[in-house]
Amino acid sequence: MNTPFWESYSTTELRGTSRSPAVSEKTKREAKAKQDREAKAKREREAKAKHEREAKAKQDREAKAKREREAKAKAKQDREAKAKREREAKAKQEREAKAKREREAKAKRDDKDRKPRHSGTPRSSATPTPPTPTRSATPSTSAPATSTAPTAEPTRSTSPTSTRSPGDDDGQPRDYDSQADFSSHQMQQGTPETEHWQEPNYSVSLDVSNRDLRFPDGEEFRMWVFDSEESGRGFPGPTLRPKEGEIFHAYVEPSMGPHTIHWHGMEPDPRNDGVGHTSFEIDDHYTYQWQAEPGRAGNPNYGAAGTYFYHCHVNTPLHAQMGLLGPLVVDPVVLADFPVNAGNRRAFADGPEYDIETESLIMPFSIDRRWHNLGHAAGLSGEDVGLNRFEPTHFYITGGLLNSRREREGAVWAPTELPVNVIGNGKAPTLMRVLDGNYLPNKLTFYHPDGSPARIAELISHDGRPFRHSSSQYGVAIPTSMHEDPKAHLFTHMLSMGAAERYDILMHPPVSGIYILRMEWNNWITGVPVGRKELRLVAS
Amino acid sequence: MSEQFPSPAYPEPVLQGSGEERVLNRANVLKLGAATGFGVAAGLAARSTPAVASSSIRAPRAVPAAVAPIPGVLDLYINEGYTKMVDDSLVYQRGFGDRPSNLGDKNPSLRIVPKIFGRDGSVTESRSYPLGAVKPVAGTPLPAGPDPANPGQYFIRRNYWASYFPQRTIIAETGSKIRIRVFNRLAGTHELTFAQTGHGRVDVGTGPIAPGAEALLEFDAPYPGTYIYHDPTNAPVQRVLGLFGALVVLDPEDAWRVSPGQAGFERQWLWITHAICTTWTGIEAAGGTVDQDKDPAVPRYFMLNDRSGYEALGHSLNKATNLAAHEESLVSGYPRQIDIRDFGEDLTLGTIRAGQMVRLVNAGIAYHQIHFHGNHLWTVRRNNVEWPREFGKVDEDGHVALQQWEDVVELPPMDRKDCMIPMKRPPDATDKVWYARTEDWGYPMHCHAEMSQTAAGGLYPGGLVAHWELKAPLTES
Repeated sequence: MNTPFWESYSTTELRGTSRSPAVSEKTKREAKAKQDREAKAKREREAKAKHEREAKAKQDREAKAKREREAKAKAKQDREAKAKREREAKAKQEREAKAKREREAKAKRDDKDRKPRHSGTPRSSATPTPPTPTRSATPSTSAPATSTAPTAEPTRSTSPTSTRSPGDDDGQPRDYDSQADFSSHQMQQGTPETEHWQEPNYSVSLDVSNRDLRFPDGEEFRMWVFDSEESGRGFPGPTLRPKEGEIFHAYVEPSMGPHTIHWHGMEPDPRNDGVGHTSFEIDDHYTYQWQAEPGRAGNPNYGAAGTYFYHCHVNTPLHAQMGLLGPLVVDPVVLADFPVNAGNRRAFADGPEYDIETESLIMPFSIDRRWHNLGHAAGLSGEDVGLNRFEPTHFYITGGLLNSRREREGAVWAPTELPVNVIGNGKAPTLMRVLDGNYLPNKLTFYHPDGSPARIAELISHDGRPFRHSSSQYGVAIPTSMHEDPKAHLFTHMLSMGAAERYDILMHPPVSGIYILRMEWNNWITGVPVGRKELRLVAS
Repeated sequence: MSEQFPSPAYPEPVLQGSGEERVLNRANVLKLGAATGFGVAAGLAARSTPAVASSSIRAPRAVPAAVAPIPGVLDLYINEGYTKMVDDSLVYQRGFGDRPSNLGDKNPSLRIVPKIFGRDGSVTESRSYPLGAVKPVAGTPLPAGPDPANPGQYFIRRNYWASYFPQRTIIAETGSKIRIRVFNRLAGTHELTFAQTGHGRVDVGTGPIAPGAEALLEFDAPYPGTYIYHDPTNAPVQRVLGLFGALVVLDPEDAWRVSPGQAGFERQWLWITHAICTTWTGIEAAGGTVDQDKDPAVPRYFMLNDRSGYEALGHSLNKATNLAAHEESLVSGYPRQIDIRDFGEDLTLGTIRAGQMVRLVNAGIAYHQIHFHGNHLWTVRRNNVEWPREFGKVDEDGHVALQQWEDVVELPPMDRKDCMIPMKRPPDATDKVWYARTEDWGYPMHCHAEMSQTAAGGLYPGGLVAHWELKAPLTES
């Protein structure tokens, strides 16, 4: 098939010295033409073969991925079905057990009450006592009269009356004989039940993985990350973005030892708060469930729209530094009086509109390489592993444009520069969400390229709650960012913040051009700067 | 070390008892001289006692022993001793104590049981304030009754419950005079300073007190708020060594508010944070002086009200420690409907729609990030300056000065913030879960500068932690 071109020529032809120059030239041209044709054909054949191979490989990969997805989906379905069956069975069992206990307790009370009159003839009650809270029909209208006050003592589920002995480790609260006992025996449960399960509006499935990740400066670190089926293993974890009012589910099946997820700033019941010593650590799997509270216009007491993050709450100093965290953004409900223009979104229900395309999230993060060689449970048994010493040598501004984030295997999400809308360019302002994923105090400053401060940042929210004027009792608590008086708006060129805080910043560059965002990291004892990074903001 | 301290004991908290409130009424006894001269009153001279058995490099010295108390004057003794940390190790500490104690004492006096300077000139020892107010059992105030409009929630009693305060607390009623006699029982020079308590927010203090000497301090109770007292010598070294405490100033006629006209509350909590660097304590214990450039601080233990980790959370086997943690630190109450636009609503007589006030104090050396789960906090004041409710600003350091919700409260060294925890229904719990609630709901509080969550380099969560709880619905008994 692929005969080398020289084999089609005789030895004498190849030599060529006994022929006339004209014949020889012609022969040479023909040979050259043939050679070119053959080479071209070969290239085409090889290209075709390569294309076929790649197509086949792609087909195989896709088929394999599809099989894996189907298998995973089926496994998930099976797990959820199993978990549901287990929940139902457990709930039924608990209902029955509770009813039995209550019947017995009532019987005991009845028996005690009757004893003076009916010696030794216990009778059981068929009706269990409902566990609903009692309410008096009419609120007190007098001074705090003792007659209206409940006479019951408050319940106490744990200390100081707990009498359970050290050594019990069945996922129930108890007292401990040492810090090492407490640290190394956080409550763990295999497949805790999602109580009062509801159909989700937003759901995600998260695992915990480890891999080496290369950061923007070329440094590579062993990281532990949350990953979903779609995100691949990158840092930070996938962006989660439910809306106010939606039932949120996160199915978590950590494959690297017990973990939890705490939804920092979201405030559900303790079982869905993701902390071992107030609920449980997950050995096998669990579905977290919560519902972000919807906002109300002008009311400072309601609303969850804003910037949050999620992180593991097991051996937290280590696990969060290893990378087990990710951004969580809650979008607002749309209120009738606050419609939204195309291409825009509101920062919160009665808040300002911003441009979706240029919305960004940035997260200062720093790394102490020493910590990245430690194990899952480092220090929990009392060994000194130096987790009180965080001495980062690598500093990063991670994040980027939220709307165009592409989560993929091995990616560290970090911007090289960010676009920002100039006032009056026909678009809504740019919203920058700042999430402090770092352990040291940070200072964030906006500059012009000549080094002069640029007062272009308007702080509109902190920790998922809008800044509002709250002086009017029961009046409208207008957001500072929506106030008609410019003096109400919180403009600045500088922002101090620390670990786990979030600020939402509306950007107002007056003219197009380059602005500089400078992030400083400061020593947590002395306050002396220990790191600095800059990010170009391109205003147009 | 273990031979010297065969039975290291965590100092037992002084619990409520009949003899708890020892009142020394100034009016009934020796009349003090003028403010500047009262310290030289007869009988105040320091008496010599044998030097403590201590490190050989310590110079022998005369140390003041206990002296006759002067009514209306609080005696503080600068002592030293060893304190048990959460991992059971013993660490050298100094402190302003109630009585003279020596280095080798099993239970040294390194922090005072709370004292109250009254308007009447009295000094009263009491763990709770206001005096005479009902003390909440295990720290949890009971509600006035159910709130029929908000199922599962309760009306909260107004101006009713006393609050417990931790060791190291001095309470001064507005209009009172703070009179303190300080005895330096250590080998080095020390002093006592109340930060920002003078006119123009200047510090008020004794100045240096030589070893074995005493000093007198008298000043008017400042504006209502939370202040830090400490020894500023080679700051912040002596704070790390333990020479600090908190002063709370309250208006006795309006004792359920942080200051007149400001946010009312059901009860209040004083949280004093602290960090210990054992390198520094080791140097000072050996008679040396810390050179901060040569030996920068690396804190190894982190405390809230002098407890860490499982002891701070009330999970130890020591019931007295657990009870003290519940009374003094572990915020607890019944859910209520509040509106942060007005903490003083009083639709039903004798009730208030308010939460509980947490006075955050950082007497330590680390930048803390106080994070509450379950409820955001409404921050009303920083360093005794009210934040406005409208037309706030971003200050020159890049901090927002405007009353606001926060789930992480910045607390740099020497800072104080007053934050209302609303004790409201956790807003993101589903209706079904909330209405089926039969148990207490407990949530953590911890510092998010995560190094502070450790003890001795590990042992998470063995550092600056607490928790707070929403009590389960009450049932009729």
